[in-house]
Amino acid sequence: MHISPNTKMSDLVQSDFELLAVLQRLKIPFGFKEKSIQTICREEGIDLNFFLNLARWYHERDFFPGETLMNHPVKWLVKYLRSTHSCYIEYHIPRIEEEIIRMESLDRSGGHNMQLMLKFFREYISEFTAHIQLEEEKIFPYILSLEENFEKETPAPEFLKTARGYTIKDFLDEHSDIEEKLVDLRNILLKYLAPPSDNCLFTNVLIEIFRLGNDLNDHTILEENVLIPQVIKMEKDFHNKFPR
Amino acid sequence: MAKVLIAETSYLVRKGLVSLLEQTDGVTELKAAGHPDTIMQTLKEFSPDIILLNSAIQMPVSHDKLLSLLHDKARFIYIINTPLPQDSPANHISVFDTKNKLTEKLSLHLKQYESTEEKEETEELTPREKLILKHVALGYTNKEIATKLFISTHTVISHRKNITRKLDIKTVSGLTVYSLINGIIKMEDIQ
Repeated sequence: MHISPNTKMSDLVQSDFELLAVLQRLKIPFGFKEKSIQTICREEGIDLNFFLNLARWYHERDFFPGETLMNHPVKWLVKYLRSTHSCYIEYHIPRIEEEIIRMESLDRSGGHNMQLMLKFFREYISEFTAHIQLEEEKIFPYILSLEENFEKETPAPEFLKTARGYTIKDFLDEHSDIEEKLVDLRNILLKYLAPPSDNCLFTNVLIEIFRLGNDLNDHTILEENVLIPQVIKMEKDFHNKFPR
Repeated sequence: MAKVLIAETSYLVRKGLVSLLEQTDGVTELKAAGHPDTIMQTLKEFSPDIILLNSAIQMPVSHDKLLSLLHDKARFIYIINTPLPQDSPANHISVFDTKNKLTEKLSLHLKQYESTEEKEETEELTPREKLILKHVALGYTNKEIATKLFISTHTVISHRKNITRKLDIKTVSGLTVYSLINGIIKMEDIQ
């Protein structure tokens, strides 16, 4: 389906329900009635092209609108990514954890395999949380003030000091791979564990891990191919506008 | 069976290759990318066996660096935007090639892959690899393992690559869990 401004929002979701994730992260409320994408974006204060670019990418998967997405204010993307973070932390991760706990409680095999999986996943949670914390507490605020100060006549002296001693490239070094462990967990469950008594539960955990994995992948693509290049460019412009 | 990545900027050529490869035996997974950044990303995550790369694409890293991102058995096939001379290498395909020509060339590569791969799929970890895995799971570094087993660090690394490929597990904690499940180490060993 081709996604155009006049497409009805409800048709969009019906044709591809995975797009619900995008709507949720942009905090678009339900109750679409017969409204078009255009109307809903206007009502919610979301830039139409930003929405279209994201939705088309998630839907068609053929092209990545990196450069087009870079033309939008960086704060929109940051908002989107933050929303995604809270989705992981508040919903997906605890849910998978709960399901592994349930699997463990149902495991009658007498072994410790499920306990091991739980331990492994909890290790993953702490790594994951640290990763997100770094972004939320250090990186995103820096990006937002960079954009804000860039638009000013004279940047806040305090920020100017920060900007001259820091670049987003430092962040790249700290940006650890958060998908590897999850992929390992998935492979161990899929290949090396006999399913415990409740098969339905086991399958569901796998499905959820696959989903989270895919979602994290998209998240990383947005960060590494849009956000960071955009910030690097903005840093350059900033230093040109406010030379030492 | 091979995982194939198509790295091609032209929309038409990309779609054409996707549709061709979807009908070809021996392709287990297929991904396509057009932008150099997306190509890099997919290379790292997808770890393809065969990469169809348009030779006109300016990749952000050198060819050697690209090779180092891939596993040992991976190979490149280059898509050339001009007609090919008579004696062109087997790993060159042209956008001017006929369907038969393309199928013939691609099948040749896929077949070579299949035979080596199938043999490996039934391969279990060798006793040596199990020994290395045991040490990794116990938390030893490559260097420590090399010293303990009187082999070079390089050998340890190459064993580890094989272990990871056979098991599909990358992280040390993942390998530890695998070892525990399969009795290669015991719970008491790591406490």
